[in-house]
Amino acid sequence: MKLTFDNTTIDLLPAGKSYRVTLGEKTATAEILRADAERGQIEFLLGGERLTAYVSFDNAKRWVTINGQTFVLARQSGSRKRGGSHQHAAGELTAPMPGQIRAVNVSEGEAVTKGQTLIILEAMKMEIRIQAPMDGVVKSLAVKVGQTVEREQNLIIVESQKSQV
Amino acid sequence: MFSKILIANRGEIAVRIIRACRELGIKTVAVYSDADKNALHVQQADEAVHIGAASPKESYLNADVLIRAALASQADAIHPGYGFLSENASFAAAVESANLTFIGPSAASIRAMGDKAESKIRMKEAGVPTVPGAEGLDSLPEFESAAREIGYPILVKASAGGGGKGMRIVWEADDLPEEIDAARREALHAFGDDRLLIEKYIADAHHIEFQVFGDKHGHLVHLFERECSVQRRHQKIIEETPSPLLTPELRKQMGEAAVKAAQAVGYHNAGTIEFIFDPQLSTFYFLEMNTRLQVEHPITELTTGLDLVQWQIRVAAGERFPYAQEQLTQRGHAIECRVYAEDPASGFLPSTGKLLQYIEPRGPGIRVDSGFRAGDEVTHFYDPLLAKLIVHAENRQAAIRKMQTALRDFVVHGVVTNMDFMQAVLSHPDFADGKVSTRWVENTLDWKPPSAPSFESLVAAAFADLAIANRQSKIENRNEPDPYSPWKTLHGFRN
Repeated sequence: MKLTFDNTTIDLLPAGKSYRVTLGEKTATAEILRADAERGQIEFLLGGERLTAYVSFDNAKRWVTINGQTFVLARQSGSRKRGGSHQHAAGELTAPMPGQIRAVNVSEGEAVTKGQTLIILEAMKMEIRIQAPMDGVVKSLAVKVGQTVEREQNLIIVESQKSQV
Repeated sequence: MFSKILIANRGEIAVRIIRACRELGIKTVAVYSDADKNALHVQQADEAVHIGAASPKESYLNADVLIRAALASQADAIHPGYGFLSENASFAAAVESANLTFIGPSAASIRAMGDKAESKIRMKEAGVPTVPGAEGLDSLPEFESAAREIGYPILVKASAGGGGKGMRIVWEADDLPEEIDAARREALHAFGDDRLLIEKYIADAHHIEFQVFGDKHGHLVHLFERECSVQRRHQKIIEETPSPLLTPELRKQMGEAAVKAAQAVGYHNAGTIEFIFDPQLSTFYFLEMNTRLQVEHPITELTTGLDLVQWQIRVAAGERFPYAQEQLTQRGHAIECRVYAEDPASGFLPSTGKLLQYIEPRGPGIRVDSGFRAGDEVTHFYDPLLAKLIVHAENRQAAIRKMQTALRDFVVHGVVTNMDFMQAVLSHPDFADGKVSTRWVENTLDWKPPSAPSFESLVAAAFADLAIANRQSKIENRNEPDPYSPWKTLHGFRN
């Protein structure tokens, strides 16, 4: 069985009560020892080493804590259609987290320079500056001062000057 | 002694205060906003009162509603915790006018120390060393000429502020207008007061603060220092005591200055005198006083053996604080790590979401002060502090090792935390040498999140997913109480 997380494909091949695990060049024998549903906990042997992991499911995301480190892995289907869902057209700026618009320093059609603060978003009592990723012109502005925005909500589109010509 | 206390706060500190009250046999009243209806502090209190919408202004900062809630529930005192209204003199005065006891200093002390500009003037008068700076500025030209005189870089701070809110370093004159505007907005929003002051920015400075404690009978002592130099965005993330920098002689001098500073404003209850410490010159300057319980108070509790929150309540009720300065000592070494829901890989942006998994570490010398449980929602309305992990061991090296081990055992899923980042700090040679200054995180620490997930993590995720696939193939002939749990079939699947 092949599973892909974060563009890395891992292959599990049943071999008696254990599995032959292959990841790229790496191969190891792994065996589940115990699973605790209550705590989302799996104990397993990997290449003879005994490990304990915590795994939580969050839609396509897997939160995995193992050896004191936590990873957020994105499960991808075979065709990898889901990859890159957070990519936006260059210059399309979205809210990094939910919050409230404190200031809008530009208007549509205005020329902006790379690094210029366009919008100030306030979230968790902090100011987050939304800055121009490049020199260009404000193509569209989607928010007003005082407005509440959700994570990933489109705020402003900056179009680079080159693409305008 | 009080029979019932209203806790005008939320999260871990509300839970901490409830615990102290329970140990003293005092009933508790929690307050909650729309966002906190099911929060841990609400569940743990004897009673709970809804006080308004999620936005702090409409709930935890609404003095009238809080006082009315205290009166209606027949509480005889209000504990403000830290943040929110804890350093608001008008609130303290209003509480006292309503014939309730404010568990904290007098409104006059808060007013004198809460205004950073006024407090600096008072400290100069009292002979406590202060950082060169300028207060009472209003127009931009005034700021510009004062900044020129002090010399860049300068620090712009909210007069009413604390906790890094509204604070900005300005490196050159060109940046001053924008930074002043931003600081004003932040200050206005956080404190309802947009006055600012500026002071000389001291580069490699350490932040060393002294806990002071006084009763209402004029007895005031210090409870030693806390080294709080590990900061990001001017907010502390790791604190420890004793400070690896202080000699017994310096500790004595700074402790005496702290007591003098607090006495200058007739202080009673718990307070903290913050100093900027210049390690090159071994000199220290008064920075500000926090007229409240501090987030990092547990490290002082563990090394002195005192329960500061219980003593806050007891002295507020008029009891005498029974220990003379000479009787107070510290034992061992304590460290606190603030576990924040924030992503160090993206500029420490707060991370919100539902806590899918939350397991606190346990063991000898480990204390966790938290306000969350698995299943709770971390919202964007409040400070992203998830929990405080505090350890106590016989010396600094042992405390660092204990902290590293405890952090490894702390499992949080659903929000990104700063725990990997704190591990990087704790294992850095500069931290081991006690050389971490307040700008060290920005200037020196070169931290990067792991670029690729570990092999073990991928195997663990694959096993968990395998269980789902396994379950789906068998679902027809199974009758599970929770058919969507991927874990149910793991037991079967290992055979």
